This record gives sequence, C-alpha cells and structure tokens, in this order.
Amino acid sequence: MDSSTVEKIIKEIEHIAPSHGGEHVGKVVAVGDGVVAIDGLSKAVMSEVLTFEETKGKKLAEGMEAQGQLLGLVLNLEEDGVRAAVLGDTARVAEGMTVKSTGRVLSVPASDEMLGRVVSTLGEPIDGKGPFKKTTMVPVERQAAGVIDRKSVSVPLQTGIKAIDAMIPIGRGQRELIIGDRGTGKTTVAIDTILNQKNEPKDRRPICVYVAIGQKESKTARIAQQLREQGALEYTIIVDAPASAPAALQYLAPFSGVAIAEYFMDKGKDVLIIYDDLSKQAVAYRQLSLLLRRPPGREAYPGDIFYLHSRLLERACRLSEEKGGGSITALPIIETQEGDVSGYIPTNVISITDGQMFLITDLFNKGIRPAIDVGISVSRVGSAAQTKAMKAVAGGIKLELAQFRELEAFMQFASDLDKETADRIESGRRMVEVLKQKNGEPIPLEKQVAAIYAANQKFFIDVPLKKVTEVEKRLIEFLDTKSSKTLVEIKKTGVLSDESKKELNKAMEAFRLGHEELFAGK
Amino acid sequence: MNNYMEQAYAQALWKVVEGGMSPSKAVHALRNSLRANGREALLPRIGRAFARIVEREARRTDIVLAIARRKDERTAHSQIKNVLASLGIEGHDLKTQIDDTLIGGWRLEGRGHLVDASYKKQLLGLYERAINT
Repeated sequence: MDSSTVEKIIKEIEHIAPSHGGEHVGKVVAVGDGVVAIDGLSKAVMSEVLTFEETKGKKLAEGMEAQGQLLGLVLNLEEDGVRAAVLGDTARVAEGMTVKSTGRVLSVPASDEMLGRVVSTLGEPIDGKGPFKKTTMVPVERQAAGVIDRKSVSVPLQTGIKAIDAMIPIGRGQRELIIGDRGTGKTTVAIDTILNQKNEPKDRRPICVYVAIGQKESKTARIAQQLREQGALEYTIIVDAPASAPAALQYLAPFSGVAIAEYFMDKGKDVLIIYDDLSKQAVAYRQLSLLLRRPPGREAYPGDIFYLHSRLLERACRLSEEKGGGSITALPIIETQEGDVSGYIPTNVISITDGQMFLITDLFNKGIRPAIDVGISVSRVGSAAQTKAMKAVAGGIKLELAQFRELEAFMQFASDLDKETADRIESGRRMVEVLKQKNGEPIPLEKQVAAIYAANQKFFIDVPLKKVTEVEKRLIEFLDTKSSKTLVEIKKTGVLSDESKKELNKAMEAFRLGHEELFAGK
Repeated sequence: MNNYMEQAYAQALWKVVEGGMSPSKAVHALRNSLRANGREALLPRIGRAFARIVEREARRTDIVLAIARRKDERTAHSQIKNVLASLGIEGHDLKTQIDDTLIGGWRLEGRGHLVDASYKKQLLGLYERAINT
C-alpha cells in the first residue's frame, strides 16, 4: 500500500466521529498450560468468548501481521476475575495483556460449502482450499431437542458391514458406541460406514461428519485421502483437533462437529457423526479441569465428566416431521485399556448410548475382521429400523453364533462328536467366514442379504473353510450379473419375498453346477 | 496462579489496612501472628504478594488515557468528557500516556472498561475487512 493511499485513509478516518461504545476488559495476571487467569471481567458469563488484544503497544504493521484473532473461552467465574482456556497458541498470551469480553457464546461457521473440507475446531478451513464464502454461525453449545420435537428411530442406517447390519442394526438418530482396545479396527468400522453411504440414493444419503480428537495428523490425512479416493469426501466434513492442538480445542471439537451436524439436521437432512474418540476428549477435559483447579473425582476426572458426554450425545436424535424430520446418528468411539470395559469413561458412555459394539483383540488376531464380539454387542433401538429383508435372514444368526462359540470351546476337550454337533460347528465356522469383511469394502444391503441367505441355506457347507470368502465373493458377482433383478427388488422394497427366495435358490443352484470344483468337500 | 499461603496472608493484610488499621500496626500484628505459628520465614514472600495485590488494585482503579502525540491531549480530553462522565470518573483521576503506535486518536482504559478511538484500531479493522472480503 503506498503512502498516499494510507494518508487518504487516515484523512477519511479523521472525519469519522469516534465511537465511544466502551468494551468490558480485564487483564491477564497469569498464564500457563493453555489456561489464563484474568483479573476483572466482572460481567463475563460462562462459556463467553474473549479476545486477547495482541496489538497493544505494537506498530500497525506488526498488528497487521498477527495470525488472526486469538480467542479465549470463559470456563471459571471467580471472585476477582475469571479463568479461561486459550483457543490457540498460549505462547501468544502475555501477562498484563488486555482481554475483551465479546458478549457472545462460542459459535462456529456452518455451510453447505463445508462438504468435502477439513476444518479446525473453530470451523476454519485447514485443507488449503481457501475460505468459505457464505456461512451461518451456529452455537457450539445448544440444548438438545426435547421429547416433543423427537420421533422414534425407524429408518435404518446401513453400515455396509454384514456383522453389524445383520446383528447390531443401527437406525438413523441412534447413538451406537464403538468400543475396543487400540488397534482393533474401531476407526475402520466408522470409516467403512461413511464409505457405505455412497450406496444410498443421493436424496436419502446422510451427510457425514468425522470428528478427529487427539489423533495423529498423519492418520487424519490418511482418512481424508481414503475418503477422497473412494468418492466419499464429497458428502463428508472432517473436524480435526489433532494431538498437537491445545486441550481446549480437543475438548470442544465434538461440540463443534455436532453444531455443524445440527445445521444440516435443521434443514431436514440426515447426518452421521463420528467422534473418534471420546476417551481422548475426556482426557483433554480432565487436563483443563485440573488446570482450572476444579476438584478431581474418580480417575482424576472432574465431577461433570458424565454431563460432558451426555449433553453431547443427547444432541443425536431424530426430529419429528414438524421439525423437518432430520436426524443425527452418532457413532462415538471409546478406547479401552486391556479390554477393560468397566473403566470410568467406558461405563459412562455405555450407559448413555443406545447400544455398543465391542471389538476384541483376540478376534482381531485370529483374523476375524471386523473383530466384533457379537455376544456382548447390542443395539437397543436399531432392530426397529432394520429392513424386513435383513430381519428375515439375520433372525437366528446371533443365537447360532453363540451356540457355535460354546460348542467350539467344548470341542477342545472332546474328540468324538455326534453328527449334529459336528454339523453345527462346521456351519458356525462358515457363518463366521461369511461375516468376515475386508476394510474399505462395505457391501450394499441387498448383497448382504443374499450372502447371509446363502449361508443360512447351508450353501457353503461343502466349501473348504479357507475358500468360503472367495466363494461368497464369486457368488455375489454371479448374482450381480445373473440375478440382478432380484437384488434390485430387495434393494427397492427392502423385503425378501418368497419369489425372491426362489430366484436366489435357483441362482445358487446354477452357480453350484457351474463351479463344482469350488465345492470339493470340507 | 496458585493460592499459596503468602497470598492469603497478603490478602488479609490488605483487608485490615483497607479496614482502617494503620499499616505499621497491621504489619506488627501480622509478624506476631507469624512468629506464634512459626511461619516468620514467609514474611518476604508475603511482602511480594502484597505488592502484587497493590499493583492489581491500581490496575482496577487507574484510568489511563493514551494518545499518540502530546499535542492531541486537549482534543482527546474534550472528546472523552462524556465517556468519563458515564463511567463516573473525574478528570483528575486520569493518567495520560504517550503511545505513538496509536498513530492518532486516543485510547481510554481502566476500571474494567476500554474505549479505543485510535487510528490504529480503525486501520486494523479496515485491513481485517479488506482481507476477509
């Protein structure tokens, strides 16, 4: 900018009568570990946003070079001042710095432009694709919808994972916990669910919000890349609060994510939100609470840790038709230590959610993936949303698998088995094989139904165990070409009619005759 | 940031002096109390904590008018009259500072209020709007 322009601007300003609207301010008296103690600000309210005045005493040019406004969030109201979390780099805060109250609670921008983008906790784009043109500010903390505004869960949310859609079905508006030790495939289940939404018709496809809390940036980048490559990023928003972000931003990230999700829900859309993971959010909140000198409770978590998660997860719901009929389905993730689900945070979140799927290290190491322990996994409201076709084929699987596990354990001690028991074990083994699924390969509902139907009809009983997955894959390919009408019918109606069953039986028989070599005995 | 013992003693000292006790009497009473409890070693730290309280109280009560140039003082004083009246502050409580980074205008800060009518603020606002649109 040349000096004449600057002079012109200064002259312009000189003609403007200065506004004397004062601001309420306080002074930073102590700062450290992401928390500041501020003297003054007697009129500040809880969760109010503060701004730090970094330009005081600095030349204009230095002020212009500042890296955006540094914000704070009031978390403690005290006798002589307030304590606030710094929503950014604490190193930018100095003792004696003036802090202004803004009179507004924390809000994040939301807009349709966010689809396909990676944003920070504060809703700022961090993927280098430039700023958003038009956004609406939505409050990060909002009261969840009341009873009257809600509708019961009745529409399925297909995950594309056979084991889940068959035995632990999820409905739109449900909160289903994914829980397990590290490295058991929790994120994979969540990402596959996002990928599977591509199989939904565009008008019914849920918008997906993936909230990464305390994750490595490389992991989030890999997920974004996977979603992009498989065409799922276009309907997904990634909210990233990496491990390197201040604890305050990690604690707020799920709330930002759900605020963005609510923006779409209020427009009548279905949204799927994944919190990966709430254990790390709880740890960030514990850190903040201890720094704020709040009394520690069990495992040093503050007393309101349950409320932190319950008020977040209560925001997942299905709205009534009068409210637009939108929904938020939440898949929170909790990481356990050594499979201990009786920890403080796991038990809290288990009690809040409408069901949970346990991922077990032993199953994972045995090659059973997804490593879901169907015996202890449950969906409390999802069965009301399960499609009739899936219900028809999946009815007895859970029981069959439970019996198989019992018999399998018994078999280790008994060498001679009667035919019925041996058959049951063989059938169970094949069912386990059918339910195995590679990551990143969600399967549409109709194909899941066909595969499980085939397993129920003992179609795979003569197939060597190692070849079951391959035969299943080839059968589905065969049905896709030779019986596509039946599959389309199942997809369209969501029902497995007698006619469809007949068609499937015929096709299965034709496949068997054409591929005798695959059924070459156990 | 921690409520150390010396802060509590310094706070108590501040309160009794504010309450009307003479400073020498208050310090003497404090010393006796510390001696009785075997905490006399805390005295230097209590002194420093007391100084911090005094500084904080000064920040709460001081009103500082910052101007870019000495020659702007009269204009600034005439412009802030209404502001001071609304804050209930008399002119003689005012401390004037020169801050050439303000470029022009004035900035009034104190008693939990800030009124910034400096050119720097306006220019920074203009710059923000320009780069964000």
